[in-house]
Amino acid sequence: MVALRVWRLLRPGQRWFSETVPGAPSPPDSPLYPPVLASITAKSKAAKSRRLQRFNERVHAAATVEEKLRLYGKLQRPKYMVYPQTFALNADRWYRSFTRTVLVPGMPPRGAAAKPPVAAAGATLEAGRAPEPGAEAPTAAAASGAAEASGAAEGAVPYVDVGELRSLACDALLQESFYQNKKRPFLYRDQDHTPGPFLTQLVSTLAASLSGRNPLLAASSLDLNPEVNYYWHHGEEVVAHGYRKGRVDPVRFQIDDNPHLQIRVPKQLPEVVPLESDLGDVPVIDHKPSKLPLFKKQYENKVFIGSKVADPCCYGHTQFHLLPDRLKRERFIRDRLEDQIEVVYRSNGIASLFAWTAAQAMYQGFWSEADVTRPFVSQAVVTDGKYFAFFCYQLNTLALTAETIKNNPRKNICWGTDSKPLYDVVEGGNVKGFNDEVLLQLVRFLLNRPKEL
Amino acid sequence: VFPGVRQAQWLTKTKLVEGLPPAVQGILDNPALGLQELEERAKHVVSHARLWDTAEVAPRREQYCPTLFENLIHVCRLMSGKYPSLSKRMLARNFRIAATWERESILLQIRGLSGILMNSMTPIPPVASKEEILATKEHVLETFYPIAPTIDLQEVNVYKELNDTGQCFRDGYPYSHPHTLFFLESANVRTDRFRPEQLRAKMLMFAFGNALAKAKALHGNDPKVLEQPVVVQSIGTDGQLFQFMVFQLNTTDLVSNDGVKNLVWIDSDQNLYERAQCVPEIKKRVVTKPAGISGFQPDTFKKFLALYLHGTV
Repeated sequence: MVALRVWRLLRPGQRWFSETVPGAPSPPDSPLYPPVLASITAKSKAAKSRRLQRFNERVHAAATVEEKLRLYGKLQRPKYMVYPQTFALNADRWYRSFTRTVLVPGMPPRGAAAKPPVAAAGATLEAGRAPEPGAEAPTAAAASGAAEASGAAEGAVPYVDVGELRSLACDALLQESFYQNKKRPFLYRDQDHTPGPFLTQLVSTLAASLSGRNPLLAASSLDLNPEVNYYWHHGEEVVAHGYRKGRVDPVRFQIDDNPHLQIRVPKQLPEVVPLESDLGDVPVIDHKPSKLPLFKKQYENKVFIGSKVADPCCYGHTQFHLLPDRLKRERFIRDRLEDQIEVVYRSNGIASLFAWTAAQAMYQGFWSEADVTRPFVSQAVVTDGKYFAFFCYQLNTLALTAETIKNNPRKNICWGTDSKPLYDVVEGGNVKGFNDEVLLQLVRFLLNRPKEL
Repeated sequence: VFPGVRQAQWLTKTKLVEGLPPAVQGILDNPALGLQELEERAKHVVSHARLWDTAEVAPRREQYCPTLFENLIHVCRLMSGKYPSLSKRMLARNFRIAATWERESILLQIRGLSGILMNSMTPIPPVASKEEILATKEHVLETFYPIAPTIDLQEVNVYKELNDTGQCFRDGYPYSHPHTLFFLESANVRTDRFRPEQLRAKMLMFAFGNALAKAKALHGNDPKVLEQPVVVQSIGTDGQLFQFMVFQLNTTDLVSNDGVKNLVWIDSDQNLYERAQCVPEIKKRVVTKPAGISGFQPDTFKKFLALYLHGTV
């Protein structure tokens, strides 16, 4: 049959050579034999990779995001539960290695989007704003942080009435701690008694009064006590015992977080630095995650940002976390672990924000095999009622599995500050030692919006 | 036994007027507020509370009722971008009220956890004109002879006559005027929830209690007709049905049955939406009820907002 076809196409007067004849068409279109593929059901590495490939194709081909999420989290296996609020020592290093995050101290150089710069401070703000990769970034961040503090103090005044906001904050604080008569706090539930309601009041009144200045806030959605979950794979391990003993499995993690308050918006926050920036190193930890300590459990693999996919407010703006009583400063000081106080804030910021931004990215259809094409930015404030720490997270990559991380140069970036007190003490109807810097930073966070708005 | 509002009216010496007072109606009809654009937001907010808020299929009433309330308050509060004086309000949760008064030689006291209270720095101006107040003199309170009006009330030996919202908040509290009380019937089981009639009666009693405590704090304990009537609003809901109430305290002279009476405007049983379907209902392979919120009534949300803005706009 093949010879027949070639003979028909052969022009008279030409010799037939078994090599390709000039002018003759290319070999027949359909291949002679079906492709040789590995088996699907065999117990071999090739079969396993073929199964993985079929799974990836299935997820890629899913019609809706809900279907994608359902397939992504369909297989349940024991996984490590990562708690953002943890007492584990040096947890923030471990969390940074699990999530491939670089920690940059200080706040990111904030550009002119938040407020038009006043003339003198404008120059330093612009210089600090140009993204600088590599080793210059930490110094630039520190320098622009200092310049920005003075610039913002001047620049903030014409646009934001600090006195009014200060009085709002003080009123909220005084109402919760002094004016309203409440019963005694429940045992070990001091945080629910005063700092919790104070934070809710503060954020809701500040957001409402700043909504005139920030149209994104006017379209925002405020969640009280929402749930944020994320499930991902990172690294590989050998199964230790059981009927699957000896097989190589990805290491699975799940974060189940309950922020005290969160603000979701319909438009994404602008990127802070370009997608491929490298601002530092990710710590590499040679031990198993269970040494942290982290424990494994098998349950539903949830990916959730606080509301379902159908919600138009699908991007995150700011989260507010309240540290529980078991992680309060006095306990750490009593146990002579003062350096771990900041670790608590940092690990909470990194883990919660990673979970939130990654879940937002998954809601847009990205996942570890389909990496994000634009960075996802969110902010968080971690507090214990008096001390506030601010974090800004930029998610550059979701590809953290053993396969996809091999050729992935991107890293996620987290900017964070140390915890600073908002006030010194509340005495007899007065707030003493109110710190305007912390309030201004909070206001700056709330005023953050895309450049078009 | 019989509708609770009538009993509450007798106990608080109040005359009932159906519908909302003209001041609130005026806010509703005011086109400058831009209430049309807010309809879209209100619909989103209802969908969020009823459909999207949970990782499970459908949220339970204990979850969606408070969420709906918080979302509605958030949308109302965002109006303070337009009206800066709205920021002079403060929400107080888990708020305890206690008030005592005498009614035809029966000592009555109301106490309890009355839900959520919104306070403001400035009081609400009186909604009824002087003529209307004087006209209530002619109104006769309906009695329930032979049923005693204190039926179904718990008789208790009171050793201390507590009389204060003032004790719920210490002196010098800047947001000293109670503005609106919110009642959320969010129990999952229907029998644990108040029925609409009972909810209205409860709202009336607590609004009265708050107004009375404020009046006594402002004008002293002597029973008299108030020069400046105290107005307290109240909104009750079970997540779908809303009851709106504006109460004006004209007099603290509650012992006798004659004289000037207090006034209350009630707008009852306002549905915010007909049905919220999380999963489409399919009978015999045909979708009978599609997923989503159906029968959304923007007027109910507008009334909520109007009551919120009342006093500052």
